[in-house]
Amino acid sequence: MRFRFLAFALAALIVPQATAQRVDGADKPFMAAGLAEDIVEVKVNYSGSRIVLFATAPQPENDTSGMAVALIGPMAPQKMIHRTAAGDQTIEFVAAPLVFAVGAEPQVATSVAPEVMIEAGLNAQASAMPRSNQLLSPDLDKWRAAFVDLKMQQGLYSFSDTTIERLDGGLRRAKIALPLNAPPGEYRIRAVAFRNGAPVGESEQVLTLVRSGLDATLFDLSRQHGLIYGFVAVLLGVGVGGIAAWFGRK
Amino acid sequence: MLIHLPIAQIAVDPLILIAIGGLVGFLSGLFGVGGGFLLTPLLIFYGVPAAVAVSTQANQVLATSIAGVSAHWRERQVDTRLGTLMLMGGLAGSTVGVGVFSLLKYFGVVDATIAVLYIVFLGVIGGLMAWESVGALGGSGGDPGRRTRLRVWMRSLPMKRRFPRSGLYISILPPIGIGFFVGVLAAVLGVGGGFVLAPAMVYLLGVPTRVMVGTSLFQIIFLTAYVTFLQATFNGTVDLVLAAVLMIGGVIGARYGAMAGRKLKAAQLRLLLALLVLAIAGRLVYELYVAPTPEYRLEEST
Repeated sequence: MRFRFLAFALAALIVPQATAQRVDGADKPFMAAGLAEDIVEVKVNYSGSRIVLFATAPQPENDTSGMAVALIGPMAPQKMIHRTAAGDQTIEFVAAPLVFAVGAEPQVATSVAPEVMIEAGLNAQASAMPRSNQLLSPDLDKWRAAFVDLKMQQGLYSFSDTTIERLDGGLRRAKIALPLNAPPGEYRIRAVAFRNGAPVGESEQVLTLVRSGLDATLFDLSRQHGLIYGFVAVLLGVGVGGIAAWFGRK
Repeated sequence: MLIHLPIAQIAVDPLILIAIGGLVGFLSGLFGVGGGFLLTPLLIFYGVPAAVAVSTQANQVLATSIAGVSAHWRERQVDTRLGTLMLMGGLAGSTVGVGVFSLLKYFGVVDATIAVLYIVFLGVIGGLMAWESVGALGGSGGDPGRRTRLRVWMRSLPMKRRFPRSGLYISILPPIGIGFFVGVLAAVLGVGGGFVLAPAMVYLLGVPTRVMVGTSLFQIIFLTAYVTFLQATFNGTVDLVLAAVLMIGGVIGARYGAMAGRKLKAAQLRLLLALLVLAIAGRLVYELYVAPTPEYRLEEST
């Protein structure tokens, strides 16, 4: 089973002026970033895979300079059930990423406040958007924390599998682990540079994860040609059983 | 090393699945049951969604049953006449069962229903088999099927036919009825029905244990093929990658299970099966009622 990443509008994204977004203020330089390959094929059924991102941090840098990157998406409504003494309570996030993998250089983790990470779009809990009638609930933070915990248990949220290497000239190489069970869809890869605890530049790229290979063939066959899929399933069982019986007579 | 299951949409360790398939295949060959009653809970314990576990294991049981029945066939321990009657009832029952399964899926109560039904059936059948087997091993009885009141009542039913391979002269209605009931279970619980079929054939019909094993597998082959086809076609819940990995272990285990079965006495076989059934039921009870329920859980949005 193979997943293929197609980087759309990559050329535009590599050109800083074309794609970068200001975090706040007008004095922050834009940041250049690009994927290692515009088409990345990965075989996730054997060893997992990593997405490689190159980014150049704004200069000059000091001891607090660092970078954080995140793989976010695809956005989808998701429900969570909260068991209470009064019965089950449904908490619905109208939009939350199915996958969220984030990593940061050590100096970022120590010098950047959590609120800043939220504003930079790098906080998993804050990325889960509740329904409007639950937006002001005093339990919202608790729900979001529980949601992130559950997603981590599924292996879809990760905060320790992303590595960032510092290369020459402010260049960084980030490797983001792609979960084996990452669903197909549209993903964003965000890279944010920090200095003195504040963001000084960011870049965002959009990737589309599509299915290919045997995995995709079987999935599509089961959904679009159920009758054929049913025959194939029976033939598989009969074939394997028949072969085993034949060997048993030997 | 992990692999991704295209229908279940989870990553799993294939070696663990092969081991599970091998264990279930061994028991299948040993006891003449498909092994679905064991495989489905094991897959659920491992994290496979219940709907996929139920549907996929029928596909795996199909392969192991074919592998397992071949040895019994050569030894003339398969009553095809009796098996065909039960199969007729089974096909009708499984058609009804797939419809019931779709309804349960629609109302979102598949997981809970499967767990509760498993507990009830495994508990009752395991308890009865254990009680009888202990008595038989203690010398208080012979073949239990020859002396039950139910069997006496069944002897009075019309449409009697001879079943020479089993040495029976009974009505065709009980085999068809048992087959229908097992067919419903096959679809709803994702079992070949062996764990119901085996005691029903011995205790209600009076089939000798040795013939029961082969005949049960014979019927299970066709029933699981039918259920696999229906589940794959109409519910789309059969995961072929999962099934293929399970089959690798299953067919190997089934061969060794059949060899081991020839070295054990009938009462010993029944007692072992009963203990196994009760152990699975106990685990399900623990999971459902004793183990702490998580405060939060995710639910798929539609």
